[in-house]
Amino acid sequence: MSGLLQAFIDGLLNPLTTPTHVLVLLALALLLGQQPQRFAGLLVFALALAAGFLAIVLAVETTPARTVLLAVAAAFGVTVAAAWSSKPLVWLLTAIAGAALALDSPPQAVMITEAYATLAGTAIGACAMLVVVSAVASHAHADWQRLGIRILGSWIAASAILVLAVQLR
Amino acid sequence: MRDQEHSNITGALAVALLAAMLLASRPAFAHIVDGSATGGFVGGFAHPLFGLDHVVAMVAVGLWGAFLGPPAIWLLPITFPMVMAVGGAIAILGVPVPGVEIGIASSAIVLGGMIALAARPPLVIAALIVGAFAIFHGHAHGAELPPGSDAVAFSVGFVMATGLLHLAGIASGLLTRWPAGRIGVRAAGVGIALVGALFLSKAI
Repeated sequence: MSGLLQAFIDGLLNPLTTPTHVLVLLALALLLGQQPQRFAGLLVFALALAAGFLAIVLAVETTPARTVLLAVAAAFGVTVAAAWSSKPLVWLLTAIAGAALALDSPPQAVMITEAYATLAGTAIGACAMLVVVSAVASHAHADWQRLGIRILGSWIAASAILVLAVQLR
Repeated sequence: MRDQEHSNITGALAVALLAAMLLASRPAFAHIVDGSATGGFVGGFAHPLFGLDHVVAMVAVGLWGAFLGPPAIWLLPITFPMVMAVGGAIAILGVPVPGVEIGIASSAIVLGGMIALAARPPLVIAALIVGAFAIFHGHAHGAELPPGSDAVAFSVGFVMATGLLHLAGIASGLLTRWPAGRIGVRAAGVGIALVGALFLSKAI
C-alpha cells in the first residue's frame, strides 16, 4: 500500500477510533438529528474543521483542544438530554467542536503530501460519521426513540464530565 | 407434610445463603480494582456491578420511577447519570464528601422504603432525593476513574452499566400495572431497604 493511501486511511480512521472524538461526534450527531436544519449544522462543522486544519498547516502550537472537545461533548450531551434547541448556541458549539477536533488531529506523517492526505481522511471520516448518525437520529419520531436519544445524551454528558474532571485534575 | 418440610428447609437455606452473601460482599466505597481491570470499557462496565449496595440502589431508582409514572419514569434515568457524574467529578478533583458509604447505604434504605410504601411525593422532591444520593454514588466511583486515554472508555462503560441498571429497574417496575405485580414490587422495596440497612450497619 502506498504511503499516501496509508496516510489517508490513518486519517479516515482517526475520528472513529479516538474515544474522545467518537464521544463528541456521536453527541453532535444526535443533537443535529434533533434539529430541523441538520445540513446547516453539518456545513458549520465542516467549515470549522477546515479552519482548524488551516491552523495546523500554519503551524499552530499545541492547544488544549482535547479538553475543549470534552467540554463541548458534555454541553452537547446535556443539550440532547434536555431536548433543548437554541440555534445560536448549537451553531456556536458545533463550530467549536469542528475546530477543536481538527486541532486535536495533527498528522504524524513526515512527508507534506502524506500529511495533507491524513487531514483529508480525518475530514471525510468525521463528516461521514456525522452525516450517517445524524440521519439515523433524525428518523427517531416515536416517543420511545426520542427518549432513547435523550438517555444516550445524558450518558454522553456524564462520561464527558467524568473524563473532563480527570483532565483538569 | 414432607413437601412443606422440604420447602421450609430450602427457604431457610436460601435466606442463610443471601445473608452470607450480604455479609461477605464489600460496600461500594471499597471498590478497589487492580490497574488492568480498571482500564477500558469492560473495567468501567463491570465496576458498578461489583457493589451490591450500588446495584440495589440503581435498580431502586428505576423501580421508583416506574412507580411514580410519567414524567418521573424517564426523568430520573436521564438526570441521575449526569448528577452522578458531578459527584464523580467532585471526587476526581479531590473534594471530600463526608459519609459517602453511609449515604450510599441510606440511599438503598430510603429508595427501598419509598417503593415499599408506594410513596408518591411531588416530582421535585423525588428528583431532589434521587439527585442527592446520586452525588454519593458518583463520588464513590469517581475516585477510582483511571487517568489517561482509557478514562473515556472506562467512564462510558461505567455510565452505561449504571443506566442499564436503571432500565432494569424500570422494566421490573412495569409489573406495577397488575395488582400482584404491585405487591411484588413493594416487596422488592422492602428487600432493597433491608439490604441498605445491612450495609449501613457495616458502615457505621
